[in-house]
Amino acid sequence: MSRDRTDGDDGGERMDGGHGAAARPSPPEERQESEDGIAAVSGRESPADASELVGEDLELGYPTNEEPVVECEHVVLPAGEVTALVGPNGSGKSTLLKSMADQLDPWAGGVVLDGERVRSFDAKDLARKLGLLSQHNQAPESITVEDLAYHGRYPHRGFFESVTETDHEAVDRAIDLAGVEHLRHSEMSNLSGGQRQLAWIAMVLAQETDILLLDEPTNHLDLHHQLRVMEVLDSLNEDHGVTIGIVLHDVGQAARFADNLIAMADGELYDWGPPREVLTEELLADVFHVDATVDHESPTGPHISPHAALDDG
Amino acid sequence: MASETQQRRKRSEQNTGYFGFVDASLVSLCVASVGVVVLGGLVQVSFGAFSMTLVEAWQAVFNTQVIFDLDAWNAFVFGGELPEMNKRSLIVWNIRLPRVFVAMLVGMNLAISGAIFQAVTRNELASPFILGVSSGAGLMILVTLVVLAGMSLTVPLLLFGEFVLTPSSLLPVIASVGGIVAFLVVYAIAWKNGTSPVRLVLAGVIVGTIFQSLQTGLFFFADDLGVVQSAIAWTTGSLTGTDWEQVRMALPWTIFAVGAALVGSRQLNVLLLGERTANSLGMNVERVRFALSGVAVLAAAASIAVAGIVGFVGLIVPHMVRNVVGSDYKKLVVGCLFAGPALMVAADVGARLGMSVLVGADAQIPVGIVTGLVGGPYFLYLMRKQEAMGEI
Repeated sequence: MSRDRTDGDDGGERMDGGHGAAARPSPPEERQESEDGIAAVSGRESPADASELVGEDLELGYPTNEEPVVECEHVVLPAGEVTALVGPNGSGKSTLLKSMADQLDPWAGGVVLDGERVRSFDAKDLARKLGLLSQHNQAPESITVEDLAYHGRYPHRGFFESVTETDHEAVDRAIDLAGVEHLRHSEMSNLSGGQRQLAWIAMVLAQETDILLLDEPTNHLDLHHQLRVMEVLDSLNEDHGVTIGIVLHDVGQAARFADNLIAMADGELYDWGPPREVLTEELLADVFHVDATVDHESPTGPHISPHAALDDG
Repeated sequence: MASETQQRRKRSEQNTGYFGFVDASLVSLCVASVGVVVLGGLVQVSFGAFSMTLVEAWQAVFNTQVIFDLDAWNAFVFGGELPEMNKRSLIVWNIRLPRVFVAMLVGMNLAISGAIFQAVTRNELASPFILGVSSGAGLMILVTLVVLAGMSLTVPLLLFGEFVLTPSSLLPVIASVGGIVAFLVVYAIAWKNGTSPVRLVLAGVIVGTIFQSLQTGLFFFADDLGVVQSAIAWTTGSLTGTDWEQVRMALPWTIFAVGAALVGSRQLNVLLLGERTANSLGMNVERVRFALSGVAVLAAAASIAVAGIVGFVGLIVPHMVRNVVGSDYKKLVVGCLFAGPALMVAADVGARLGMSVLVGADAQIPVGIVTGLVGGPYFLYLMRKQEAMGEI
């Protein structure tokens, strides 16, 4: 399931122009270049409906904060790629993801989806393009997996419209893709945590968006279900060209799985780019405060061997 | 087209086992509720001060001359001239049956109102009165009966001379308006860059406490026992003396509220997934929450206008229904439309005839007392039976 860089090779020229330039918070002229690069790619490689999500000059915070929690000049989720947000607790990953999904009004700056500000979208229009799976979801106990998946069709239905054949098909596809066909009629309260998470994923899949953002979807899951979740997202990205932004706790998992890493520290972008470039021993020391060696030669992506926790300094 | 029907058949076949079961439970709930309503209704029309035999009473109910008389229905529903009919039919159709209908409407309104509030606040313990409606209505009832009793409002009408309104004739409207105003106050207090279920409930408790104190304080200024009794009847809920006028008053609002609840049931289902999920699915949560709360408050206000503040019905009926059909609001709302009237009609049988059966006294008690007496123990039973209480 891990994406090795074979498909990254054919996008090699783009990687230089795109990711290299954007690896650090980039000045405007470079940003222009990176967007061109991505536009060229989406014309060539990605399906036409792949979308990119860009955050510009973001200052994010909550009403109770005096200072912004996250400040970030430029952040991109490139079209048709998987981007993982990593960083220690409290580094602002989830906050950034929330604002990218238009669930948090930025104090300054804005988020742009395919050239249009997400703020300017009607809520339902946006929900047809961009899906978000938050952490800690709670469903009513007696709801079934299938019922939950049908809720994913909410943005596709008008106020008085009933379920159409398109909705049925989308739900069938979503349940199939999430691999919960056998649980279709089970009630959520009878499922394990991992099965429940797959059911929630079936719901956001039924939403059929071009962009999918997920906040720590593998948290508290056993290894089997972690891999199941990642496989589902991987095939969604590979087969359907869905742009994925995902907050992951486990850096190693992020490195195996994602095309790009966004490493965050103290509410700022620390580094940005393909895992092999971003994931260094220096980063692990600076951002995560751990002493670790990174094996860049490992066939499944950079492999981390943590040794000790460093003093917070 | 062929593949479409094939698809659907395949899906519904998959669903038969599960949905067949649930539909059966909903249908049996509705049938049982209708049975209770019919039975309670027949008891209500058969017994009372004017004695007639069961057969006579039932003949009067099924008197085809009334049932198929458009003039009679015109009189009932639109308040036109009542056509002539025999005395038994008159008593059954003009005195005893309308009370049953009012009970049904009140039960319906309170049940869907409670169901909506339980979803909006995501709390099983929410009732129609959780956001201050009952305390606002109760306060206005006391103010009207105690303070404004002597006043009257004269409305000059150009052609018909003048039209005199006394506060007591306006009591139903004043009470409902008081409830709605209290709800708006609660919402305004809870609002701070949007609301949250917890803040709404807290604001409701605060406003409720203040209004309750004012209401209790006003009792001290009531110098007449009649006023106190009337106030108590209003604030505990009573169907004594209701007739077609109350049906006419509540019916339009009921139709609106029921329609809105049925249409809104899908929104309620999505609200149950939590605010964040509803938001990310493209729902405007604040707007939907306010609109649905408004529907629930209107339903509660309509029931207050005709019966006063009947407690417990709005709390336990959604519970009972949820126990049977599950938490899907499409089924829940439909179930409430049947179970609410069933509970209310049955409770009113107790309220109207209970005293004469138990102690032989020819007195009626407010129906709110019966719903409390029945509802409390049932709620206790649910609490003991269920593992997780308070979560939907």
